Amino acid sequence: MTLTPELKAALVERLTAFADDELVLGHRQAGWTGHAPLLEEDIAMANVAQDEIGHAVAWFELRAELDGSDPDRLAFFRAADDYRSAWLSEQPRGDWAFTMLRQYLFDAYEAELLARLSGSSHRPLADTATKLAREELFHLRHSRLWVERLAHGTEESRSRLVSAVTVAWPLMPQLLAPLPQDAALEAAKLTYSSRDLEQSVLAATRAELVGHGIALPPFAPVPAGNPRAQRTEHLAPMLAVMQSVARADADAQAW
Amino acid sequence: MTADGQLPRWEVFKQDSSTKAHAAVGSVHAADAEHALLMARSVFARRPSAVSMWLAPQWAVHQYTREQLAEGFAAPSEQLAVPARYLVFLKTSDRRSMAAYEHRGEVVASSTTAALRAAVPDEPPLGVWLVEAAAVIATDTADAEPWFAPATEKRYKQQSEYAVSVKRHPAAREES
Repeated sequence: MTLTPELKAALVERLTAFADDELVLGHRQAGWTGHAPLLEEDIAMANVAQDEIGHAVAWFELRAELDGSDPDRLAFFRAADDYRSAWLSEQPRGDWAFTMLRQYLFDAYEAELLARLSGSSHRPLADTATKLAREELFHLRHSRLWVERLAHGTEESRSRLVSAVTVAWPLMPQLLAPLPQDAALEAAKLTYSSRDLEQSVLAATRAELVGHGIALPPFAPVPAGNPRAQRTEHLAPMLAVMQSVARADADAQAW
Repeated sequence: MTADGQLPRWEVFKQDSSTKAHAAVGSVHAADAEHALLMARSVFARRPSAVSMWLAPQWAVHQYTREQLAEGFAAPSEQLAVPARYLVFLKTSDRRSMAAYEHRGEVVASSTTAALRAAVPDEPPLGVWLVEAAAVIATDTADAEPWFAPATEKRYKQQSEYAVSVKRHPAAREES
């Protein structure tokens, strides 16, 4: 189908948010490479991080088809203020409990998201979502396994999980809130019902955590207007490191 | 945790395609069966092809080298009240170190000694593993698509695929 200029612009914004969520989270999780508590988990987390960064590339490439942008320039030469990542992704790496809880919340969101996107009327979007969904099922099983074991492991593992919930859970509505132009995408059947997605994700994750006897803190307020307009203070320092090599020789012909 | 501070060890048997036998590829340490399956998938099936994996806790794997076979035949072993099923893995070649022990069938026996006698062919192999079938866990066939299919779409890139220009440091140039 041919997209109107308005729909194209809205889809570019939406894809950028998808890509930024995955790129930032992937970079955070990559911080475990060489540091995980078990060798097997070190490999598994490196796999998860690579998958998320790979998904970011897939979303950036869909955007490139619409506006001719360059995924590498978007990742490595964009200022923090121009990112559209969710606050949940931007949080620092944290301990193993925070890492696995955040990954679980994000995986639960992506499982619901990708299932809906695979029915998009925009064929490239539907195809990409179908492909990414397979890897997400594996991620979700891994992160949910850890949430369960941390909740019922030792006193320390449980208290670390509870601390992680107090940081991560309040950020869920901002992750799930629609962008200003999402309604137009939804009306054109390019995407899904934001309200339905939010309700499904919150119901599933709430049931999981409450099922482990974890009390949930209140949500942080979602900013009016564009919920993705403001960054947390954590993103800029992360990008300063992540982008430093690419920026060291911005005109490099080859690496 | 075991006495040495490690999580329990699980042997991993991977099947590369439906026409091939499951073969030992290595081991993982994991807290429980489900965790072991997830770790095995991450460690052994992210890139290489796979259609199924079996895992067995280390205690359920009875291992014999060719030299140990004679002792194994003679060694007294516990007589089971109910005969048990053992999966038989044989090593017949030294050439492939990563897939040495291949699944060759199963035997039902009331002791490991009896199982060994039934499992070993006339021409003695280089090694035999008897795996207690009751302890084996397997990937779910419903998982095969999300677990193993993504690997087929990832490809290795040889170093030569990256256009890397190497500039020599001026100081190095002067020395040469």
